[in-house]
Amino acid sequence: MSDFDHTASPEALSAAVLGWLDLYWDTQHRGPLGEPEGNQQLWRQKVFDAGLAVPSWPEEWFGLGMKPAQCKVIEKAFAERKAPGAGLDRYHLGAITVFKAASDALKREMLPKLLTGPICCLLYSEPNAGSDLAGIRTRAERDGERFIINGQKVWTSNAAEAEYGMLLARTDWDVPKHRGITFFLFPMKQQGVEIRPINQITGESEFNEIFIENAVVPERFMIGKLNEGWASFQTAIAYERLIMGQGITERRRGASAKGRSPLLELAAKTHRLQDPVIRQRLAQALAYREVNRLNNERAKRDMMTNGSLSLMSLSKLAMSRIQHGEAAIATDLLGPASLLDGPDNADPANTNFDAAKAYMNSIGGGTDQIQRNIIAEKVLGLPKEYEPDKGTSFREVKSDAGSRNGE
Amino acid sequence: MSAIQESERTAIQEELVRFLRAEAGEDTLRSGMQSDLGYDHAVWQKMAEMGLLGIAISEDFGGIGGSAVDTAMVAEGLGRSLLPVPFIETCVIAPALLEASDMTDESRKILTRIAQGTATIAIGGNADIVPFRDPDCRLAVKADGTMSGEVSLVMHGGSADFLLLAFHSGNQTRCLLVSSDHDYTIENQTANDPALRPAKISLADVPFIELTGWSNDNFEQAGWQGIVALSAQQTGAARAIFEITVDYLQTRYQFGRPIGSFQALKHIAADLFLEVESATSASQAAARALASKAPQTAQSVALAGFLCNDAFREVSAQAIQLHGGIAYTQEHVAHLYWRRARATLSMFGDSDLHREAYLSAWEAAA
Repeated sequence: MSDFDHTASPEALSAAVLGWLDLYWDTQHRGPLGEPEGNQQLWRQKVFDAGLAVPSWPEEWFGLGMKPAQCKVIEKAFAERKAPGAGLDRYHLGAITVFKAASDALKREMLPKLLTGPICCLLYSEPNAGSDLAGIRTRAERDGERFIINGQKVWTSNAAEAEYGMLLARTDWDVPKHRGITFFLFPMKQQGVEIRPINQITGESEFNEIFIENAVVPERFMIGKLNEGWASFQTAIAYERLIMGQGITERRRGASAKGRSPLLELAAKTHRLQDPVIRQRLAQALAYREVNRLNNERAKRDMMTNGSLSLMSLSKLAMSRIQHGEAAIATDLLGPASLLDGPDNADPANTNFDAAKAYMNSIGGGTDQIQRNIIAEKVLGLPKEYEPDKGTSFREVKSDAGSRNGE
Repeated sequence: MSAIQESERTAIQEELVRFLRAEAGEDTLRSGMQSDLGYDHAVWQKMAEMGLLGIAISEDFGGIGGSAVDTAMVAEGLGRSLLPVPFIETCVIAPALLEASDMTDESRKILTRIAQGTATIAIGGNADIVPFRDPDCRLAVKADGTMSGEVSLVMHGGSADFLLLAFHSGNQTRCLLVSSDHDYTIENQTANDPALRPAKISLADVPFIELTGWSNDNFEQAGWQGIVALSAQQTGAARAIFEITVDYLQTRYQFGRPIGSFQALKHIAADLFLEVESATSASQAAARALASKAPQTAQSVALAGFLCNDAFREVSAQAIQLHGGIAYTQEHVAHLYWRRARATLSMFGDSDLHREAYLSAWEAAA
């Protein structure tokens, strides 16, 4: 069925994909050829039907059975023609989780929808369950062949566009916290789902709070088994942390151009490039970024050769040090001007934004402190800390101000 | 470019690891520390038999023609064991400079002897290829073809078969080879690291051979070879003491639990792990750049220079803190890593100097 041969050479594959794109995609108008409206839905369907949305997945699951290097060729061809829709097997967290953890029936029913629709939102964190995510209190109660959901979620991006959310909810309160959680594919467009944007310290509002009151999920939308959602969730979150360290949360401003550093440019502009103290700090900042790139290269080689993820786990920590550090230097370079902001003061405004945005990397996807625990325990093999809630039914576990979850 | 194939390199590495594990443990380090030489001479001989001393020397002169990647591999192994052998001076810098100079029968002989393990070379002076520079050195060539002067901080200067004296003279740099067959005065200096053997050398009317024909590029390359080998040595040492420390965190119990279960210590360990891996990445990248004569070599070398310096210092210092009281004793090995880290901080310049060089290279490339 597929036009793309997974035994083809990289050159042949690239030519085949580019040829396919030229047949259906209008690079100049950034839309499907002959579709003046630029119908996104239609385009996603087209990419999906060709197997190009998730090329690394097997053919019976909408993919092409391609190796990572071949997927890269495909994504590169899409990038060359400025066409969206490739690489969903790398960043469509919802579809990836369903593919890896859901039943065949759910996969068959929902993957075509998820992969051709808007990206799924993530309904994980709650006001009382941040670093201790397994402490969620949104409840899912069985009602015949469906579940009724009540609770509150937070830090959800793309909530308004998403048709489905990846929901973690508590289905058993009388077992220890990890064992009473179920993972659901949650329909967002229904009664009882209220979305409120959060005003973030950067001035952006990419995240939302979600209030859920008596909303409904069909039983067949359960991902994995009842009360076994935590394991499936681990797959999903590991992936999210991995992509954080690549600096995806950074403001784009052409910084990736080789030999250019926005920080050096700012130092030149503020006439501090000859200051030996500033020079030391600039060198250190550039070095952290450069060595993170070198670490990531090694991490990728490690992952390819022996599947080791230990180096990968470091990049999120490294990225925090880079972003907070660069913002601090930029602030000092600007001096008193850094108190200004707004469109008339681009350099201070950018620096203020970066200083705030750095927390996105050091808090989002689990704080750096949680990440240090993960590195210490999973990579270095250090023992877990004493856990007062271990083995205790969730209802009995202490919450804020010493009350209990069940009270 | 390296004359060593990838498969040979793997074989050498495996043999090196086996050898160091068997014959370069803490006992060897400590017994060497008690001796005049500072290290076990049998270990040096064994390295010669394995071909490791000629790793950077061309095949024409009895070596095996390795690149910076190969010398880094050996240096990293030596770093793990802390063995204070004069590898960087004798086997990395001296051969680089000798081979870049006009070849004479004498230098041919010296290169062969280095590879065979029958000659060591100590380097002193104030030029960039000198590991421990003595800013106050007074070295001068006289009209009668002899030289005189004083220089301190010459590592292994007391036991070396040749002194390589590299110093600024007017606006040029001179490199003189002095054989230990000639008379000069050696005054051993006390080092904080009990394994190191620096010496103050006083020379009066001593004959020498001057190395000539090398270019400024050759000289810079020889210095880079030294920095890269040092960075590998520091990386190996930092990883070794880090592993010892993580082990201890898993086995030491207080309050009825392994101390490694405390987040205060875990978080330090995670941060140190980032340091160790970053040092490794930077050192390897610098070795690759130097071996392939990449255009950004100056930048890569400077980066490895300060990241590995700082990583070894931080990791070895925190290792003592994480161990607690036990590492405040001479019997524990941690202080030896810490002392070595402090001793290597000023080799080939210091971190601040490397940072400045790194930024300058950045600006030059932009």
